Amino acid sequence: MDIARYAELFRTEAREHLAGIDEALAVLADGSADGGQHDAIDALFRATHTIKGMAGAMGYASVEQLSHAYETLLAAVRESALPADSTLVTLCYEAADALAQHVDDAVDGNADRPVSISLLERLASMADSIDSDRGHRTTATWRVPSMDDDAADAPDDEPDDESAHPDGPIPTTTIEWVVTTDTARGERRGRVIVVALAPDAPLKSVRAQIALARLEALGTVQGTEPPLQTVSDLFDGEFTIVMDTASTDAELEAAVRSAGDVARVVVRDPVARRATKDVLRHVRIDLKRLDALLDLMGELVITRDRLLAVAEVNGDRTVMATAQETSRLISALQEQILQARMVPVGQVFDRFPRMVRDVARDLGKEVSFTMEGRDIALDRSMLDAIGDPIVHLLRNAMDHGIESAAQRTAAGKPDVGRLVLRAIRDRAAIVIAVEDDGRGVDRARVLARAIADGRVERHVTSLTDDDLIKLLSQPGFSTAESVTAVSGRGVGIDVVANRVRALGGSMDIETVPGRGTIFSLRLPVTLAIVRALLVQVADRTYAVPSAHVMEAVEFDEAARLTLRGREAVSLRDEVLPLVRLRQVFGEPVTHDVDAQLLVVDAGGRRFACTVDALLGQQDIVVKTFDAVVGATALFSGATILGDGSPALIVDVGSLA
Amino acid sequence: MSRTVLICDDAIFMRTMVGDILQQAGFEIVGEAETGVQAVEKYRQLRPDLVTMDIVMPDMGGIDAVREITKGDPTARILMCSAMGQQALVVEAIQAGAKDFVVKPFQPSRVLEAVQRVLAA
Repeated sequence: MDIARYAELFRTEAREHLAGIDEALAVLADGSADGGQHDAIDALFRATHTIKGMAGAMGYASVEQLSHAYETLLAAVRESALPADSTLVTLCYEAADALAQHVDDAVDGNADRPVSISLLERLASMADSIDSDRGHRTTATWRVPSMDDDAADAPDDEPDDESAHPDGPIPTTTIEWVVTTDTARGERRGRVIVVALAPDAPLKSVRAQIALARLEALGTVQGTEPPLQTVSDLFDGEFTIVMDTASTDAELEAAVRSAGDVARVVVRDPVARRATKDVLRHVRIDLKRLDALLDLMGELVITRDRLLAVAEVNGDRTVMATAQETSRLISALQEQILQARMVPVGQVFDRFPRMVRDVARDLGKEVSFTMEGRDIALDRSMLDAIGDPIVHLLRNAMDHGIESAAQRTAAGKPDVGRLVLRAIRDRAAIVIAVEDDGRGVDRARVLARAIADGRVERHVTSLTDDDLIKLLSQPGFSTAESVTAVSGRGVGIDVVANRVRALGGSMDIETVPGRGTIFSLRLPVTLAIVRALLVQVADRTYAVPSAHVMEAVEFDEAARLTLRGREAVSLRDEVLPLVRLRQVFGEPVTHDVDAQLLVVDAGGRRFACTVDALLGQQDIVVKTFDAVVGATALFSGATILGDGSPALIVDVGSLA
Repeated sequence: MSRTVLICDDAIFMRTMVGDILQQAGFEIVGEAETGVQAVEKYRQLRPDLVTMDIVMPDMGGIDAVREITKGDPTARILMCSAMGQQALVVEAIQAGAKDFVVKPFQPSRVLEAVQRVLAA
């Protein structure tokens, strides 16, 4: 296009508008207070605006620049409705003269003669001072997230100064939305459209609005990032639109591109967000941190006990009161931390239905599987540890317990086997049970095997459920029999029993031939802290969980007797099997031993233990063993005593 | 039959320039308007395929004219002609119903691109 053609046309028209400017300025200078002032300012504004436009079209940079500065000032005056004072009018005359000069220069070939910096500055500062009188700033600043930011994670960027934005505080930049997950063709679904405009695109905010309008025709827009309603000269052309639509991604991209000046478009699935409430009510926490809290709390508890003991010795009432208050708070803290570690068993249980389905299918068995008590909560680490044992029990039940459909029908049972995984709370324990309505454990076979192995004496003719579980829990007992592709090698009931004991729990069995079997795992609710009785055996200290200790009395040798070849003790009208811990722990027998008797209850089995001395009751932090290796399962874990020395925790169940 | 265009701008100079670009692209200039009021009237009379509209004009500005025209004919295809520093006003114009915009100084190629988009929309 040949600009030169238009140059004279430009000059002619520009001069007309300049004449109009002079007329209007005369009115302003006159200072008469009638409505003429307002019209004059209006006319001034339009005239400078028009000259600016024309100069822009011609590429006359200086004319454009000066007329823009002039127009900006006049816009401020126009909006402020303030009367034009003499300073303003003088400045306007100066600007008009300069403008006329630049117009001539431009047409005559000197379009780039620079505009006086001083004039530009004075025009700008007068405009600013008029604006700030109205509490109005002329520019707004934004931070716009880049293309790679997840739109929903955009920072919440509120400036401290609310008056910085003429329309009030800058809105938050997070979008919350609820998204449909139905992806069938033709159905509405949520889409996230990320757009980057061409870097050289003019008026990017406008372009973004046009793109938004095109998308609005294709569905319901839920939100935009940044809010496209607000216009900024600093907008970099990158934005995200979230909407529900039935259109295809290709259609959405085409719509955006039809707006023009679009460099990049990406259409993707939204990230499903929960409602704000959920997001605020839960936080993720590193498991290591939970464990660290637990350890610290354990030590805090031990130190607390020492504090109380010391305070008592000290005798000072204030010290005692403070120690007790501290103790109370520590207990409360302990409770909170333990609760924080609790997790519903459902989290682990939920993966079982699929596994059961797969195993049943592999075995060719028909199994109906139900779970009860998914909401019962266990300590996190306990839950992690219990998963594999439960899997084994479930597989075992399907492999050895539940018969094939044909066998079941022949036995008069429904052809679909019933398998139940149940979690219930029982005072201070959680019981997890695996129940099946299969053929039950074959006691005769177990007995024969046990006798053959020498685990049971030949004259024994029958096994109680108790005996049964003890045998099955013995290492190596079940391996040979139960090794199949499903149950796996070496993962016998004995391993399950070990794992359960390592957690401070116990295992029981109830089985009826032809009717079914229930394996029960009894677990302490929390791992961490238990009340224990410290006892001395030989020159070592051991901890016996108080939950199992029914009473402690002095041991009277006279009450000792022998029953069925084994030592027992008579206590009031009860005869209890006697277990000498020195013997069990392999310590030499000397004088001054076995002075104390503990009456113990391990899952319903009562017996008595002898120890050298009682050292007192206290809370201990249970540290379980990572893996129980080897046959000895006498100890379920260890603890660190107040003086820093370690003590093994006796697994009472294993003594019986 | 060539496409018709109504050119609205209070500067003869601008109307001439825009008109030349469009004419060279095969448009027929069926009318010109100097004010917003004229723009609305002439639109009703002429029903052009395309309208180019300046933002600031006496006697009803460009944005109001866009609003009025679009009210009467929602399918009106209006292209805003903008100078520097008018982003907020152009946004308003788009929200009022204009379909697209070009900025000065005009590059004929850009003007024609914008025209294509407006006609295609």
